[in-house]
Amino acid sequence: MTSSTTVGGSDVDPVSLLLASAREESVPEEFRVTGVMMQYYFVCERELWFLSRDVEIDRDTVSVVRGTNVDDTAYSEKRRSMSIDGMIALDLLDDGRVVEVKPSSKLTEPARMQLSYYLWYLKHVAGVEKEGVLAHPRERKREPVELTEEREKKVEEAIRGIYEVVTSETPPPAEEKPYCSSCAYHDFCWSC
Amino acid sequence: MDRNYHVFSAGRLERQDDTLRLVTEDGEKKYIPVENAEAVFLHGQIDYNTRLLSFLNKHGVAVHVFGWKDYYAGSLMPKRGQTSGQTVVEQVRAYDHPDRRLKLAKAIVEGSIHNMRTNVTYYAGRGHDFDEVIEDIDAAGERLESVTDVNEAMGTEATARKAYYSTFDAILPEGFRLDRREYNPPPNELNSLISFGNSLVYANCVSAIRATALDPTISYLHEPGERRYSLSLDLADLFKPVLADRVLFRLVNRNQIGLEDFETELGSCLLTERGRKTYGKAFEETLERTVEHPRLNRKVSYQYLMRIEAYKLKKHLLTGEPYEPFKRWW
Ligand code: SF4
Repeated sequence: MTSSTTVGGSDVDPVSLLLASAREESVPEEFRVTGVMMQYYFVCERELWFLSRDVEIDRDTVSVVRGTNVDDTAYSEKRRSMSIDGMIALDLLDDGRVVEVKPSSKLTEPARMQLSYYLWYLKHVAGVEKEGVLAHPRERKREPVELTEEREKKVEEAIRGIYEVVTSETPPPAEEKPYCSSCAYHDFCWSC
Repeated sequence: MDRNYHVFSAGRLERQDDTLRLVTEDGEKKYIPVENAEAVFLHGQIDYNTRLLSFLNKHGVAVHVFGWKDYYAGSLMPKRGQTSGQTVVEQVRAYDHPDRRLKLAKAIVEGSIHNMRTNVTYYAGRGHDFDEVIEDIDAAGERLESVTDVNEAMGTEATARKAYYSTFDAILPEGFRLDRREYNPPPNELNSLISFGNSLVYANCVSAIRATALDPTISYLHEPGERRYSLSLDLADLFKPVLADRVLFRLVNRNQIGLEDFETELGSCLLTERGRKTYGKAFEETLERTVEHPRLNRKVSYQYLMRIEAYKLKKHLLTGEPYEPFKRWW
């Protein structure tokens, strides 16, 4: 197996590819990014690669449920869940803001980026501009997340990064990080 | 989920509501909790019906049948919980690629030789003079580096194994003689014990492989289709010295298994029910032993080491990261 960094053999910008795919335009290759993929990109690129290749790890292991499912019950107010293009599944608050629950204090940035991606997607694909709120149930705090120009850039960079990871023939090498110990792929990465 | 249950007596195994029930020949009833079973090993004459099999299938429990001759008769595998076309494709690719296959085959032999050697040095440290054997094993190990095809790798393994087996007579008490390693059927007590242990290792490797999406019939050292689950043969080679042989040495040297635990029938020497029970119990205890894993930073059971090996192989196949064979490190 050779390592490859060629971007799928096309010169198309992954961001345009993603938008075209989302708009069902004809594209040289489909490219879709889910919210979970965006989150994983910031948690561990290797895990993202495994996920994109359907590398299932173990029939017994209950895979670590992370992210949006955590503390779903923490807020009693009404939330509407909606799914767009089968790609992103977001929760809307009554006031129309998109809410994302922050799973743990360590994973703030991945959750923030997932939320930013939703906002970006809504803006560029659906043509609606929304505000977001990152909920910290344990701390009973909320952080407003706005799609600034800077955040848009970061989302687009991440989309390009994700494209590179998922089209690469080999995964990025394992790197020990605090998250490893709670990762479903732990034994897979570290049994050597 | 990883418990093995062994049934040694003769009788009928049946589904009783939501459990497994064994009715022995003298009418005794025993229940086997199925929820945490990985596999049921049948050693005696056991009757069962399709109702039982579909029940086990539903619960994901494998059945390993141990009969006569070389002991292992076959497995009834539940539908796999996991399938991955991609994994199988990568398995076949590696098999079909001469260099990649050879590399894997050599790695398995390398690990196997290392683990045999560890047993020899262990007993050399206990007053046996095995210098020559160690030299022979090391020579085989060196030859392995330059082999250019899988058959040669196989041959190197056989040479090392022959040297390794030559220590058994010295390690074991009077009465247990190997003479020559023979199976199908095993002609004497020691051959029989080795076969029984190896078949238990083999069946446990079948279970370990089943926990991944690897196809158990695509193998690298052994020729696919040589036996039903040839990938299990590959992995079992690594674990036989650590599991089967150590249990054997311990039981025989402590007189827990003696010549009276065998019966010879039509030229086959087979363990009696009592002998199988004793061995099976010691084997299961060994599977549960743990050792500190240097990379995982926790203790893992010997049984889990087989699972890890399947993961390592799968990881190599899917990512191209090198495969390092299991070598006893403690
Ligand atoms: S164990 Fe660590 S390196 Fe491996 S996928 Fe999980 S987080 Fe990434």
